[in-house]
Amino acid sequence: MYIRILLNYILGYVNIRIEGYFVEKFVNICISKGIFLWNIKKVKQATAYANIGIRDFKKISKIAKNTKCRISIQSKKGLPFISNKYRKRKVFAILLIAVIICIICLSNFVWNIDITGNATISKEEILNSLEENGLKIGVFKSKIDTKQIVNNMRLKRNDLAWIGIKVEGTNVIVKVVEADKKPEIINEEEYCNIVATKEGIIVKVNALNGTPLVKEGDTIKKGSVLIGGFLEGKYTGTRYVHANGSVYAKVWYTQKEKIELKQLNKIRTGVNESKYSVKINNFQINFYKTLSKFENYDTIEEIKKMKIFSNFYLPIEVIKNTNYEQTFENKEYSIEEAKTIGEEKAKQALENTIPNKEDILNTYINYNETPEAVEVEVIYEILEEISAKEKIVF
Amino acid sequence: MKEKRRRQKQTRLERVLEIPKEISSSEPKITIIGFNEMLIENYKGILEYQEFYIRISTHIGILNINGFNLNLTEMTSDDILITGKIETVDFEEIQ
Repeated sequence: MYIRILLNYILGYVNIRIEGYFVEKFVNICISKGIFLWNIKKVKQATAYANIGIRDFKKISKIAKNTKCRISIQSKKGLPFISNKYRKRKVFAILLIAVIICIICLSNFVWNIDITGNATISKEEILNSLEENGLKIGVFKSKIDTKQIVNNMRLKRNDLAWIGIKVEGTNVIVKVVEADKKPEIINEEEYCNIVATKEGIIVKVNALNGTPLVKEGDTIKKGSVLIGGFLEGKYTGTRYVHANGSVYAKVWYTQKEKIELKQLNKIRTGVNESKYSVKINNFQINFYKTLSKFENYDTIEEIKKMKIFSNFYLPIEVIKNTNYEQTFENKEYSIEEAKTIGEEKAKQALENTIPNKEDILNTYINYNETPEAVEVEVIYEILEEISAKEKIVF
Repeated sequence: MKEKRRRQKQTRLERVLEIPKEISSSEPKITIIGFNEMLIENYKGILEYQEFYIRISTHIGILNINGFNLNLTEMTSDDILITGKIETVDFEEIQ
């Protein structure tokens, strides 16, 4: 029953007023002829209101004539009438269609490129090489051949191990995995020396091929030859070979930190102000004119890309500049405090540079105190392989 | 008398098959939900309709409904739904 009413709503229905002394008769004939009436309300002695579908409304006039009822339409409801109402508003309809067409057209272009997974290679660099291969903001989506781009990128750039390009709506997500730089591989048949990559004291020389030129306890400089790529024989004379082997040495890493005893610290007061601007493609509109009212402040810029739906990005950005007010505070450290802070800082910095923490043999810490500051020097002694192959140039 | 016997036979068969009465016979089924909704199945037609008084003819007699603001909410050839404040319902059986 409700389905029938719902169907009538879609097809359209009218609310009619029936006037006459034989409303019952009219209703009975309607029902017997299969005309569906609903919400019949009798208001006065001779008037009633009822709902009827527009298809059945045409048949009704004959019945009304027979039963001597007068029928007038009170209100028209349903989708056909709504659409009819807007048919007269041509500009509205045209613009609505234009907007829809616009959205469909715009959704065929790329409006946003996201790059994830890059650590050392800058975003601009990747964007530039993507542009060379025909993927940039504003390009037609169907023209993008992701396989081709990936292949080209991988051929041109050897610092990328893997690239994935995914098109989602107007959004392109580029995932990048950076490759570790490969050492230069020297052909087995070519002659080479083994040289030191770092300064240090030799601990162990392990020559597989060639003549060792250094022994344990020797202090060597960076670049000096450790294993020569030649062999000397009594009868054969000097013969050049492809030197092979490994040399271990004690290497020192040092880090100096200077800690001022009197320091000026920046502290946020908690007061902030926000300024907005809109960037359309490369054209920026600022919604503010004045400079910041704070004397000292920190500015944080937030960029938000506009989008419709979940992944339809538009070339419009909203930029929010937030200024945080700051005050300066003097802080004095005691010598002991400064020492520990410096030590921690230096150690932290060192541990980021050394490859393996377990190779540390010794740590030395030196302090240098002056009236204004404390200098802390941390030295790590590390056992490391320092050998690298170098071609012999004749 | 003859007709009555035929009807009784039918009901016996139907009792075995468990066919609902309102389907097999032309007797009306009247359902009253709360005080302001009434569904009548198997009716013949409307005899009189006023805001306060509805007279419905069925195959076995006439049904009178008294109340206020009575609406014929849904009407098909088989059933009729009356909403509004129903006060009394009475029947006039055809002799």
